[in-house]
Amino acid sequence: MILPHRLPFPSGWGARAAAASSLLLGLTLAISNPRAFPVYGDQTVLPAGTELNEDALDRPREIFNSVSRGGVKSYLVNLGDLAFSSPSILGGAARRAGISCNSCHVNGASNPQLYVPGLSTRHGNFDTTSALFNPKADDGVLNPFRTPSLRGASLLAPYGHDGRIASLREFVRNVIVDEFAGPEPSPAILDALVVYIDDIGFLPNPSLGPGGRLVAARSSDAERRGEALFAKPFPHNPELSCSGCHTPSAAFVDHRQHDVGSGGLFKTPTLLNADFNAPYFHDGRFDSYYQVVAHFNAVFDIGLSVEDQRDLVAYLTAVGDGERPYERDGVITNVKEASDFASVLDIAISSRDKEVIALAVETVSGELRETVESFPERKDASVSGGGQERSLARLALKELVLTLRRIDLAAGADRFDDAAAEYKNFRYLMVSAVPTLLTNAEPWSLFNPKVHDAHYAALKQTLQTAKRALP
Amino acid sequence: MMHFSGVGTTSRAALGVRCAHMAGRFTIAGFILMGAVASQASASAFDRNVEHYRTQIAEDIGQALAGARRLRDCIAADDLEGAKKAWISARGGWERSEVFTSGLVPELDEEIDAWPKSTTGFHAIEAKLFGAQQTGVQSETDALIADLAELDAKLRDMPLPPQALLNGLARLAYEVGESKSDGGESRLSGTSLDDMRNNLLGISQAYHALFSDALAASDPALAATTQADIETLKALLDAPRLAAIDSSHLRKASEAFVITLASMAAKINLQKPVLEDLGK
Repeated sequence: MILPHRLPFPSGWGARAAAASSLLLGLTLAISNPRAFPVYGDQTVLPAGTELNEDALDRPREIFNSVSRGGVKSYLVNLGDLAFSSPSILGGAARRAGISCNSCHVNGASNPQLYVPGLSTRHGNFDTTSALFNPKADDGVLNPFRTPSLRGASLLAPYGHDGRIASLREFVRNVIVDEFAGPEPSPAILDALVVYIDDIGFLPNPSLGPGGRLVAARSSDAERRGEALFAKPFPHNPELSCSGCHTPSAAFVDHRQHDVGSGGLFKTPTLLNADFNAPYFHDGRFDSYYQVVAHFNAVFDIGLSVEDQRDLVAYLTAVGDGERPYERDGVITNVKEASDFASVLDIAISSRDKEVIALAVETVSGELRETVESFPERKDASVSGGGQERSLARLALKELVLTLRRIDLAAGADRFDDAAAEYKNFRYLMVSAVPTLLTNAEPWSLFNPKVHDAHYAALKQTLQTAKRALP
Repeated sequence: MMHFSGVGTTSRAALGVRCAHMAGRFTIAGFILMGAVASQASASAFDRNVEHYRTQIAEDIGQALAGARRLRDCIAADDLEGAKKAWISARGGWERSEVFTSGLVPELDEEIDAWPKSTTGFHAIEAKLFGAQQTGVQSETDALIADLAELDAKLRDMPLPPQALLNGLARLAYEVGESKSDGGESRLSGTSLDDMRNNLLGISQAYHALFSDALAASDPALAATTQADIETLKALLDAPRLAAIDSSHLRKASEAFVITLASMAAKINLQKPVLEDLGK
């Protein structure tokens, strides 16, 4: 089967509804892992067979605390978000492969499709201490960890799967420099990254009320029975209970490390929005809540019946839900993100901040160049129709790329007035011509699932001709 | 100052007519394209240069055609290694001629360089030769030879408008800056880096044959910048392998070069290059 990205559940439909039907059918809540289109060939930066899932049409929805409070994303949030999406703050293979923080933490969430041959033991985990990304950090063992979602990160200290680092700022620096061989980030960029990550909110979950308790009117009997079991002391370890560590009133964490029989001391992960965070445990060994519950039942000899386990899973699924977890990628989303990222230029140009100007130009123009590829060339025979519309969309995006480059060149030569004029021009294009031209071409772009599938089917056909089966 | 300013009303109106049916609003596409429409003027100054350039791309197309014919002989003899070498040689000639082919013979380009739906052309043959290690590419090779022969014949007397060649040059310059971290265009044969170098050779060849003398006469400093831009790109492509390329510098250099070419256009009575084929 060709690899159209399929969400485990239709977007906009909570995982809870799907879980309910799974329960009905006696199935598990396993998140199926549809394959992303892999990297292939002998000349790639990342190993052939790597799946970054960049071709996914649906993306995790990102909530910003600042916006939820009725405000706007500040300059610092936008700058941090920009840096988060910039391969240039990393080094080595990551930078050359064009991957950024956002490649694994897509829109601040996770990337369950991520797979790097030799570094992953399953989809969704990844060894951050290997020779590929930083030879200096290579520890000689394959010890992959799952990519955690960063939703609610401000509430989830300490950081790292084992909670070894108390400060988010220090943890982020460690990821950039030690895991991905990046240059020492400037204090301003590091601060912005922390402000951005702290601004990533949980998806709202109307099933939960004050204290993290289920809202009675919105919950089922099974969920409420599960809630009671969750708080009940373990029979052989009465000082322990699920809620003892996953404190409902505190984002379902206790900020501590525990040995739960998975091979060491690991930080208590949040259960909020966790329906979308599979695979579970530090190394992503479990696909489903059923497996997680069965593990605890066995390790702590809790004596849960099959019905008890179903009730607990129903409760976890209710706690882990979130509103509209995914959103469809499209022209408007892309234009908005590019505008938000580029908005840092307003302050950066007026304050003559060359570092931020260069970072913004590099990152936004890189993303716009990728967006060009979402509008297949006129000669691409996998798409029929819309040739003129596609060409105009591509042209508009290329003009934006060049406008950004002019900003960079002007600022580099200390011509900040010219840079400001070019930025004004960029913004004018972004609110007028560009959205119109891109929207006109959208039906013939890779944002249209039919065109998307035809494009990847054509690529797959070439691979089959080459007898290079997908790994 | 907006860089799109300073264009005559004639070209703006022409563009409006062309785009009105799909953009809905004349001004939108017009704004993007201001200053970007081919001028009828002053083509004659380039006539001699164009004929010189024609002989150069005739050589490149000739190399592509000769390679394709050698490829046919090798597959007839079931000589896989010889066939691969012939494909690479044919590919080199083709990639050097892309300044001209992408804009001026789009129908043949679509056949010869089809991607990702490659049932014909270089990439269809590449998949079997380099991927499947098979020489069963007789019909694809015959079609490639026929297409290249048609191109060769067409080239002899087709018009080569300087503006169209500048457009092709700038488009290819922009394309050289595209990320190849996924293995690039010819990822199965592993010759994507050669593609990029041959593109740059084609760019340099076109610039020197067509525009460098006129630019040197009108703005020697800009001529020096243009040459320096080409040298920078050349140095960035001088990497041991594709994955070792500094892609962010390459992108920056390619974009700076396209901007230089836009400045050049004004100095030699051409219009700002259009970075997409907008059809006839």
